[in-house]
Amino acid sequence: MPIPRKPDGSVVTTCAYCGVGCGFKAETLGGKVVRMIPWKEGKANHGHSCVKGRFAFDYYAHPDRVRTPLIRDHIDEPWRAVTWDEAIGHAATRLRDIQARHGTKSVGAVSSSRCTNEEIFLVQKFARVALRNNNIDNCSRICHSPTQFGLSATLGAGAASQHFDSVLQADVILVVGANPTEGHPVFGSMLKRRVREGARLIVLDPRRTETVNSPHCSADVHLALRPGTNVAVLDSIAHVVVREKLYREDFIRSRCHRDEFEQWAALVGDDRYSPEVVGPQARIDPEDIRRAARLYAAGPRSTIYYGLGVTEHSQGSTGVMCLGNLALACGMVGREGVGVNPLRGQGNVQGGSCLGSWPHMFSGYRFVTDPEVRSSFERAWDITLDAEPGLRLPNMFDAAVAGTFKGIYIQGEDPVQSDPNRDHIVAAMRAMECVILQDLFLTETANFAHVFLPGSSSLEKDGTFTNAERRVSRVRKIVEPLAGLADWEITVRLTNAMGYALHYDHPSEVMLEIARTSPAYRGMTYALIDRVGSVQWPCDENAPEGTEVLHTATFPRGKANFMLTEFVPTRERADDRFPLLLTTGRVLSQYNVGTQTRRTGNVAWYAEDLLEISAQDAAARGIVDGDPVAVSSRVGSTVLRARLSTRVSPGVVYTTFHFAQSKANAITTDLSDWATNCPEYKVTAVEVMRVTPSMTRAQPTPVAEAVEA
Amino acid sequence: MSDTPVIEVERLVAMANQIGDFFAPYPSAQRAEGIRNHLRHYWDPRMRAALLAHLDATGGADLAESVSIAARLLRDESRAGAKAYAGPPRAG
Repeated sequence: MPIPRKPDGSVVTTCAYCGVGCGFKAETLGGKVVRMIPWKEGKANHGHSCVKGRFAFDYYAHPDRVRTPLIRDHIDEPWRAVTWDEAIGHAATRLRDIQARHGTKSVGAVSSSRCTNEEIFLVQKFARVALRNNNIDNCSRICHSPTQFGLSATLGAGAASQHFDSVLQADVILVVGANPTEGHPVFGSMLKRRVREGARLIVLDPRRTETVNSPHCSADVHLALRPGTNVAVLDSIAHVVVREKLYREDFIRSRCHRDEFEQWAALVGDDRYSPEVVGPQARIDPEDIRRAARLYAAGPRSTIYYGLGVTEHSQGSTGVMCLGNLALACGMVGREGVGVNPLRGQGNVQGGSCLGSWPHMFSGYRFVTDPEVRSSFERAWDITLDAEPGLRLPNMFDAAVAGTFKGIYIQGEDPVQSDPNRDHIVAAMRAMECVILQDLFLTETANFAHVFLPGSSSLEKDGTFTNAERRVSRVRKIVEPLAGLADWEITVRLTNAMGYALHYDHPSEVMLEIARTSPAYRGMTYALIDRVGSVQWPCDENAPEGTEVLHTATFPRGKANFMLTEFVPTRERADDRFPLLLTTGRVLSQYNVGTQTRRTGNVAWYAEDLLEISAQDAAARGIVDGDPVAVSSRVGSTVLRARLSTRVSPGVVYTTFHFAQSKANAITTDLSDWATNCPEYKVTAVEVMRVTPSMTRAQPTPVAEAVEA
Repeated sequence: MSDTPVIEVERLVAMANQIGDFFAPYPSAQRAEGIRNHLRHYWDPRMRAALLAHLDATGGADLAESVSIAARLLRDESRAGAKAYAGPPRAG
């Protein structure tokens, strides 16, 4: 066996996969990345890593990478390889022409949480100063936008209250709608370590995940609730807290609005939220709801970690508020070992939220309708800005179908594979006159694009990521961009081509602008991050090296707020035609739509999306393990292979969405959260039917067309 | 072109009614104000205009009463210029 050659270079950088944001040493040999070594000094991971960050890096040099800008007039034509100047000029001309014919607001942009803070900031700036509207959104729209809304409403800040290490001081850990051992594995290991040390664990999840039960770690209480009943169950836990007077009167009096608490207590304390009423609705034991409430309230240090199982519902924002209310009532905010913490999906979802990629907010979570805030940006950018909210991403697609939205600049997103109700997204894409896609590969969305701008991976550029604990870490260029430009340089060129002059020599200059215009980042500089390793916002004159725990003395609005969280069942219902409830998620070895991980050796661990189904539901349909099955919902159908599983209860099925050919989002609906339009991925009524192999030949998937040299 | 709603009205009605559902447990004045604040500061003005046009044209039979009341407040608010906020709705 050959002896591996010793790397000749090593640079510390940050993993771009999940929201843990592990520090790595990227080691190179002959100008190529050859290993990713977990960085022991990394404050998010302390030298640990998962199989994605550690092994799934060679996608960056995969032969599928597009290395030349591409354009075409119509999506049924082959691509033409062109120069950067021609592609950028073509994109700008098309956008300006659409705006001239259909109005300023007929185009928009979406930024990517796989890109850096600096790049996200520049895309939202592009929308506001070059497109001259607020049609800008980010991919947290379809994952954690309810976090920003729900935590802002209750605690006053739409972000995790703790640092990851805080979990090591928790006595009780409440995990809701998350499976950190697969979705956020390095944090999941830390959580399990604390459980091994004696912390009590409560899990709310329809599935018996590895977090619920694995070697050395099992939940004290597992509420395997029926999908769609989160708010009812969380209100029922609150009911027990209220009726058994388990709340912290002193905390409520000193830190919250007492009248709001009373209003909330009257709502959740009503008999309709008693465990004996809610338990049967959610198909869980009422006594388990009581045990969960008593454990959490007793603490003395109880903490909440949650994921997309909370947010991706028609009451996603309400669910997040339930968690905020519960923590406030029990006094579990503002110190080590407690708090409310979203486990963010992509590496820079928190950054995407912080830096103004919203149609209604500038960076720092400030409303575009606020004249004082808006004028501060107008002074900084020397331009008059749109005073009204723009369209959210799902509304951009709705408007495209309605014929009023004609062009979009997409930075590093693949909505055709990742967004719900695929047919609707495809119809929107087909309806647009110009889709400009900036990505590494010809994705599913590329099939509907007119301009393809080849982007750069996180190994090919400088910048920063903000992880799920508000930690800003450096992303460092290891190798040169394969297509010649970093993503931030592409956006700068496009902005200039649209007529707004923009110039930065280095992303560090963008960070200086972020610091000038975003209060929580006021003290953030590359020099500071380089000196201390990483910095958690808020970072300002009061906290020059950042802040580990939020809300210690006061909340951003002074006192915290209780919100009224009435349970409103989703319109998506199981019935005789669609008797099962589908919920979706991820596995450890693959990442989101799989654009990167599918192009690495990680496919050895998971090579296709499977449908987990209980033995009871499978037997009732004549399905055995490995059978191809048709999964049909009210909006579409697809074919997957069945995997009999004890992780799902009868009545519930589960799949992942890592592989384009499985078209998992052909069956998810466009129902969405009331406050944010975050899609309801977690509840889709379906029927599952065994199919013969000849029926499994699905519609041919459009593949990336050949590129004319 | 200008007569075409930016998004299909059925979708806007469904979204607006969901907002109404959330604010339903609040006292009536807070309920209307909460819905108004949300529509005013989170919705594209063309979406608000399409909702109001629909309300005028149909009387809002498919809208929750609280949503109809709040939508009408949008017209008054344009003169008042109330600032956006997060958190619980404020009384009237």
